[in-house]
Amino acid sequence: MRIPPSSRRALTGALFLLVAPSGAAAGQAPPDPDDEERVRIVHLLQRATYGARPEDVAAVRAIGAEAWIERQLRPETIDDSALAARLAPFRAVNLPLDELYEAYPDGRRMRATAGEMDSVARRRFEREMRAAGLQSPRRIGAELAGARLQRALHSERQLEAVMTEFWFNRFNVYWGKGMDRWLVPDYEREAIRPHVFGRFEDLLFATARHPAMLFYLDNWRSIAPDSLRPARPRLAREVPEGAGFNENYARELLELHTLGVDGGYTEADVVAAARALTGWSIALRGEVPEFRFRPVLHDVGEKRFLGRTLPAGRGIEDGEEVLAILARHPSTARHLARDLAEAFVSDDPPPALVARLERVFLETGGDLRAVTRALFTAPEFHEPGVREAKVKSPFELVASALRLTGAEAAPFNGTAAYLRSAGEIPYGARDPIGYPETGESWIDGGAMLQRMNLALALAAGETRGVAIDAEGLAASVGGDPVRALADRLLPGGGAERVARVVAGDIAEGLPAGVSPSERALGLILGSPEFQRW
Amino acid sequence: MKTAPRPDRRLFLKRGALALLALGVPPRFLARALAVETGAAERRKTLVCVFQRGAVDGLNMIIPFGEPAYYAARRSIALAAPSARDGGSAIDLDGFFGLHPELAPLVPLWREGELAVVHACGSPHPTRSHFEAQDYMETATPGAARRDGWLNRVLAARAAHAADHATGQARLADGGALRGVAISPDLPLSLRGPSPALAISDLASFGLAAEGEGGLVSLERSLAGLYRAAGTDALGAAGAETFAAVERLARIDPARYRPRPGAAYEGTFGHALRQVAQLVKADVGLEVAFVEIDGWDTHLAQGGANGRMALQLRTLARGLRAFHDDLGDRMEDVVVLTMSEFGRTVAENGSGGTDHGHGNCMLAFGGRVDGGRVLGAWPGLAPESLDGGRDLAVTTDFRDVFAEITAVHLGARRLDEVFPGYPPDPARWPGVVAGAG
Repeated sequence: MRIPPSSRRALTGALFLLVAPSGAAAGQAPPDPDDEERVRIVHLLQRATYGARPEDVAAVRAIGAEAWIERQLRPETIDDSALAARLAPFRAVNLPLDELYEAYPDGRRMRATAGEMDSVARRRFEREMRAAGLQSPRRIGAELAGARLQRALHSERQLEAVMTEFWFNRFNVYWGKGMDRWLVPDYEREAIRPHVFGRFEDLLFATARHPAMLFYLDNWRSIAPDSLRPARPRLAREVPEGAGFNENYARELLELHTLGVDGGYTEADVVAAARALTGWSIALRGEVPEFRFRPVLHDVGEKRFLGRTLPAGRGIEDGEEVLAILARHPSTARHLARDLAEAFVSDDPPPALVARLERVFLETGGDLRAVTRALFTAPEFHEPGVREAKVKSPFELVASALRLTGAEAAPFNGTAAYLRSAGEIPYGARDPIGYPETGESWIDGGAMLQRMNLALALAAGETRGVAIDAEGLAASVGGDPVRALADRLLPGGGAERVARVVAGDIAEGLPAGVSPSERALGLILGSPEFQRW
Repeated sequence: MKTAPRPDRRLFLKRGALALLALGVPPRFLARALAVETGAAERRKTLVCVFQRGAVDGLNMIIPFGEPAYYAARRSIALAAPSARDGGSAIDLDGFFGLHPELAPLVPLWREGELAVVHACGSPHPTRSHFEAQDYMETATPGAARRDGWLNRVLAARAAHAADHATGQARLADGGALRGVAISPDLPLSLRGPSPALAISDLASFGLAAEGEGGLVSLERSLAGLYRAAGTDALGAAGAETFAAVERLARIDPARYRPRPGAAYEGTFGHALRQVAQLVKADVGLEVAFVEIDGWDTHLAQGGANGRMALQLRTLARGLRAFHDDLGDRMEDVVVLTMSEFGRTVAENGSGGTDHGHGNCMLAFGGRVDGGRVLGAWPGLAPESLDGGRDLAVTTDFRDVFAEITAVHLGARRLDEVFPGYPPDPARWPGVVAGAG
């Protein structure tokens, strides 16, 4: 939001630094760097939420970190009605599947019946659709991404939001592939989020049965290798077009979702798992895809998987047994422990922490609430080398910038363009491996400039649909405005250093039309300190 | 990247490197800048990759007019055999192959022996998925997903070699900020990886987007100072590389670039190649450049001598020719290589187009490319020679073309690191560059 020139001129130059704006609240002293409790709370919030605002720090301090963590581990006990209101523009996120298909019809199918259209006719067609309250499925992706941002900014169930992002990424489904454009909202809402503090086995089964995953990794049309072409014509209809034996899902299931590439399995195990999972497919109820086990696709032969024999002549039990074995396997525990530690503690996690998380996983039968608790209360979590050592991903950068500045973000705003060019559109990871969790992946060529230019655009009010009131922000804290902004945006450290550079920059004089608070905001958001937490 | 008017940048440049001192920039930054200014020439061998995204129809680019099967399979979109009376016929190259008439700007390059073609070239992997096949070509690991691109590994191999041998030319005075550049908004997979590589849409606006007289200089200084103070960790290093690149580019004053007379760049593709030409001539140490051109996925109404594909080829040819003419003698340091994720079906489909195929052609010119020849073993278009009974077969793995140029033109060693799982073997190289094998 642009501040009118007259107010800007009133704030320029040295005056800004010497005089506290009128009407400011009684100045707050900068945070005491020796306040160890505050340091620990900020660090916890920076890893368990999308940004440590002063009110968040106060809330944790009021009940103590452990109680706060416990509360966050039970999101159903936290009132999130404010968020619900903000999610209203994103209808696709909460609609049941049949209504989703009605409201966001597949334009291509409709156009195929209407014949080839040129761009003029297509625009008219889309206008007519919208006038009828219908939207293109493209919009579902935009709504998903917009909803994720609003949730990051405004949800009180911050840890649930953070962990939903983590587990979705682990069980990644690329939104843009075919029917996944309609299935991903349901997938996140029904297969991921309800299980993030539940049992890992339930999460694993939920993803394995969801049509979004079965379609994304092609398992829905995987058919037994010595495929029996069904003798009776009636059953031929049950075989999807293009069916063939497909190892895609089984491979990612073992490599990414559970055991890990060093988890001690062989190619033969991948094939066995793939054979066991033939038949885990999709059927349409009307337009709506849902899970259906199709016996005609299933390989009924005997299989040997991780040293265990799966007897011949079974059906869906083969796949269920494979999933159960994987869910309880020590390599799965180790793989998950390592990935959690890497995502939330350190790009190179301490072995002792990984070992402890692995033990908790195995001892509790894969209780993710217990594992998450162990993660955020671990002694290694607060070791000095861990703080401020993780680089924010592009999404985390956007979320933390908007959350910490108290920005007003329109449902569809210009941060999406930044995320696209930075390569982290939510739900847009094409590969099953999802988006990286380590910093080195996010700071390659050109990325730094993109981050700095995002910071400058946000500060100048030039990011479409995002309004930041920097002056108001500084004034609400009181005292030296530059220091106030730095403290607010860099609660984890570096505020004093950055404030000094910024003050020096402002003191040299600003170009016409640039207010000190805009400059300060741009420099702080673009600083290396802000890229870290 | 935002484009903003920046009069202060020209002011900064006029005062040159000494301006840095006046602004109180600490010595380390200055030393780096001065080393760039006065250090050993950063004139290097460069490879420019031109990716035709969407699977170009190689059979209508380099036409096998000597094959009756070509005409039998393409009743409406085939290019006629060379004929003086038909301006839309193929341009004769060697009595068997012809050039699409819209590629006419490349004819002098062919006649001078500068332009080579490798036909029936491509990937051993059968995927017909655009994004999968593009990824496999960009990582040069068909069938295996990777996060790093082959061009990034080329940079790493050259840097490692230089470090081992501490050659003057390869000393990376500025940290190598501009060794690998893609002219595009996002860094393509080919260039992703640990070695620094940059995606730049427009040289003139690569930098901080800020308004106001003098605002940019102090902004850069303050941000650069913050990143310098961040030390030698990855963030600090990334920031330093960025500012080094920004400064390097500012020094060459991109907005004022004038191509050699006669070199006519048009449109987006032309603009991209013009940026590359500028970087080459400015001796910023560019080693690999990447440019892409879309619009080749001609399932419908492809056209023959005229139509959609013909217009795309016109854009391609004009851009490549302008680049060639602009560089002039400098072309001896630069090889341009075109590539596409796979070719298209031999037969036209029911909509006047072609569908996803397999074998394709690559064009190469510059450096010591041994041109005026169509290289590779031509498998023919007889049904029994086709891949899957319908597509041009692949007789040259694209990695062999990549490897040959990387080894012979760029002089890179450690090729097995660049092409993991595919140890380079000169016996397989098609002979694109003189002095190979």
